[in-house]
Amino acid sequence: MALLEVDDLTVQFYTEDGVVTAADELSFTVESGEKFGVVGESGAGKSVTALSLMRLIEEPGRITDGEIRFKGEDILSMSESEVRSIRGNEMAMIFQDAQTALNPVYTVGEQISEAVRHHLDYSEADARDRAVQLMDDVGIPEPDARYDDYPHQFSGGMQQRVVIATALSCDPDLLIADEPTTALDVTIEAKILDLIENLADEYDTAVQLITHDLGVIAEVCDRVMVMYAGKPVEKAPVDDLYYDPKHPYTVGLMSSIPRVGEQRDRLQTIPGTMPDLVELPSGCSFHPRCPFAEDACTRKEPPLVDHETGQAADGDTDQHVAACLEYTGDLVEGLDYQVDVDGADPNTGSATERGRDHGA
Amino acid sequence: MRRIYESDALYRDDDEPGAPRERQREERPQSFRSVPSGSLSRWLVPDRVRRWGLSLEVVTPRTEFRVGEHVPFQVTIKNSLPFPVTVATRSPLLWTWHVDDHRAASKLSADGPPEEERGFRFERGERKRFRKRWDGMFKIADAEWERATTGEYTIGAGLNVEGAADRGLYSETTVTLRPE
Ligand code: SF4
Repeated sequence: MALLEVDDLTVQFYTEDGVVTAADELSFTVESGEKFGVVGESGAGKSVTALSLMRLIEEPGRITDGEIRFKGEDILSMSESEVRSIRGNEMAMIFQDAQTALNPVYTVGEQISEAVRHHLDYSEADARDRAVQLMDDVGIPEPDARYDDYPHQFSGGMQQRVVIATALSCDPDLLIADEPTTALDVTIEAKILDLIENLADEYDTAVQLITHDLGVIAEVCDRVMVMYAGKPVEKAPVDDLYYDPKHPYTVGLMSSIPRVGEQRDRLQTIPGTMPDLVELPSGCSFHPRCPFAEDACTRKEPPLVDHETGQAADGDTDQHVAACLEYTGDLVEGLDYQVDVDGADPNTGSATERGRDHGA
Repeated sequence: MRRIYESDALYRDDDEPGAPRERQREERPQSFRSVPSGSLSRWLVPDRVRRWGLSLEVVTPRTEFRVGEHVPFQVTIKNSLPFPVTVATRSPLLWTWHVDDHRAASKLSADGPPEEERGFRFERGERKRFRKRWDGMFKIADAEWERATTGEYTIGAGLNVEGAADRGLYSETTVTLRPE
């Protein structure tokens, strides 16, 4: 049994413009201790999916379909108090921005020890000791002295460390990190990612890491799901996806990975923008931006299939599946691109530099 | 949902470590401004008056398009009364659109949002405008679409209330698709 099993999750928002389907029949699993990446541009439904796992979506949003099982228990049929006992305890989340989690009127130490005491039966003094230890674990210098500081006295990177300490305070089985470094600058980003990775190993915590940067996924994760317009378009072990991407959108994302030393704010290399989720294109949602789109792509929505056999994805974690009509034999011209990987050993998975070349 | 963290659709609780903290009350984004059911004005204003005050219009920038071209249209819903009104809709959708008789250009039997009354508020004199497009396709199966052929098509839009057409809360326009 996987730690987390998500089946056909559908999340919708009712707005004056119409129904926004932010997650559309999404299925995936996260195994115990695994690092699972979710990648896609902003607006792909990644955050909504993550927040749904912890039942943090409210009206006008609604989980309209699907199942979420955590350690075999159905999260969606739990009572509010059952969910609260899991949230922040067995399943914890690091939000995009530390401000979402930190309360400006309490000291950082109080916030960490409060999290400890909320779920674990610790005395005040023990909770304080545990909080100081956690602050030390996440690399906050002089944790004893800084216990009584308020969040505004911390830099953005240090605030995010406090959030990580809070998230790890109850030794969760699953840590969901939603773009944990978006608000930070590049040098801090690398440190925070290292920290999450090392702590996850140390605490034997599974991580679901959400990012728009495939390079980050490649460094941290074992498996990856690429999302586009509320749907998974490719799922694979990270090396398979990185060295042999099968979906044109993934190939496009790879071309957005910066080379070492390159300015981070690079140009968007996939032309066009993510479609409005209230008005999805017919057929393959990616067709207006896909360099290989054919007439069939406007008429058929590609299912997620094994790229070799064309069989429907069966949930096997080693499977490499993609949602493109190429793999169901519906394209006339087919895909034509080449991925050049340089300076990397495929076995280490530590490559950070990629080149790409694809053309129709 | 681009701004989930800024929206009201995120559960927040200052007393629960692990949940997002509450934020200061801000103006709710326009698109979320619906309430679970009607509000005060529903009771003070007779139904008739409330509906006379509202009007809906659908327009396209031109009447002829080529097959394969997208057909943009704009829906305007206006409250011409000098006071705010709340309209109760049949489901969480304020309005629906159709091509010929096919809701949202889908030939599948409607699988819309739950039948649950919802109240949408209009300020006095408020005009809500929505831009949409019909991409010239009809949905014919779960994962399949067909292209509309040449000919005339009616694009209609109506407020999501019982008997919208009889109450003047439905409007339509005709477009012609010409050969490519
Ligand atoms: S199905 Fe067509 S549009 Fe979609 S990714 Fe494949 S080639 Fe591109």
